[in-house]
Amino acid sequence: MSTRANVVNRVVLTVLSLLLLAAGGLGLALSLGAFGASRAARPVLPQEVSTFPDGRPWFWWAVAGALLLTALLALLWLLTQLRTDRTTRLDRTTNARDGYTTLHASALTNAVEDEALGITGVTSVSANVHEHRGQHVFLRVELADSADIGEVRTRLENEVVAHLREGVGDPRFPVTIELRPGASRTPQRSVT
Amino acid sequence: MTASNWVTRVVCALLALALLLGSLLAIVELVAAALDRAPALVPYPDWTSWLRTHSWDDRVVTGVLVGFVVLGLLLLLLAIRRGKPASLALRSRSDGVDVTASRRSVEKSLVAAAARTTGVTGASAAVSRRTARVDARTMGVSEPGIREAVDSAVRERLDSLGLERRMRTRVRVTAKDPR
Repeated sequence: MSTRANVVNRVVLTVLSLLLLAAGGLGLALSLGAFGASRAARPVLPQEVSTFPDGRPWFWWAVAGALLLTALLALLWLLTQLRTDRTTRLDRTTNARDGYTTLHASALTNAVEDEALGITGVTSVSANVHEHRGQHVFLRVELADSADIGEVRTRLENEVVAHLREGVGDPRFPVTIELRPGASRTPQRSVT
Repeated sequence: MTASNWVTRVVCALLALALLLGSLLAIVELVAAALDRAPALVPYPDWTSWLRTHSWDDRVVTGVLVGFVVLGLLLLLLAIRRGKPASLALRSRSDGVDVTASRRSVEKSLVAAAARTTGVTGASAAVSRRTARVDARTMGVSEPGIREAVDSAVRERLDSLGLERRMRTRVRVTAKDPR
C-alpha cells in the first residue's frame, strides 16, 4: 500500500480524463455542426495537416522526443503501482559529516510487536516503518472483542510508543496506530 | 487498501502499460518509416487514408468521439471518487501519535455488538464516513423495543472507540420467517 501512488494516480487520471474530455467534447461539437456545417463536412485529416511534416525534418524528431517522454513517464507511472511506503531501514543520522546511522527496522518493529502483544486484549500485532512525508512507525493492532479499547490505547501510547521513541532517541518520533477491534471474536448470540 | 483503491490501481497499471507499449510501438514505426521500410505492426497508411476520406460528421467518427467523452468521464469519476474510508480517525491523545480504527473491523465489532442483543439472530453492518448502518435480524415477530436496544448497543460500541467525528447510526430490524 502506498499513499504516494494513490496521489499520483489521482493526478494522472485527472489529467488524462480532462484531455480525453477536451478532445472528445471539441470533436463532438465540430462533428455536430457547432462550428458550422461546412466544417463538419471537412475530412478529419485535411490535406494541409497531412502534408505539414513534408520539408520539416525537425517535426518527426519532435514527435519521437514526445513519444520517448511519454514512454518514460508511463514506465514511471507503472513502477509507482508496485511501490510501497514500507522501508527496512530507519535513518537516524543527525550530522552527515560525522557519519551515517541507520537502524534495521525489524530490530525495532520486533521489539514493538512483542511489547504490544503483552497488553491484555491484544491478539495480534504487526509493526512496519513507513516512508511517507518522513519516516514513521505504523502499528496494526488486532483486538479481542472483549478488549477495553481505552485501556489498550492508554498502554500503547504511554508504554509501547514511549519505549519505541526511547529506542530511536526521538521523543517526537511519529507513530500511527491502527486498531482492529473485534478482529477475533466469539459473539454470544442469544435467541428468545 | 479499499476495494475502490484496488480498482483504481489496476486501471492505472493497465493504462500505464498501454501508454508505454503504444509509445514504444509508435517509435518503432517512426524508425521503420525513416529507414523506408514497410509498417512493422500498425497499418498506419490505411488509417491515414481513411481519415482523409471521412469527414467529422461521419457516424464512426462521432461514435469514437462519444467513446472519448465516456472514457474521460469514467476516468474522472475514478480520480475524484472518495469511496469508503479504509480507517476512521480516533480522537488524538498524545502528540505525534495518530490512532485510527480500520473500517472493516469496526463493522465486525458492530455486528458483534448487535448480535449480542437479546432476540437478535444475526446482523450485518456497513460503515461510511459519517454513518453506521446496522441490519439486525430476528426470528419471527420482533419484540417491541428491540430496535432501540440494538441502536443503544451500537452507539455504546462506537462511543467506546472514541471516534474523532461523531457518527450517525441507522438501525433496521427485519423479522425472519420462522418456517
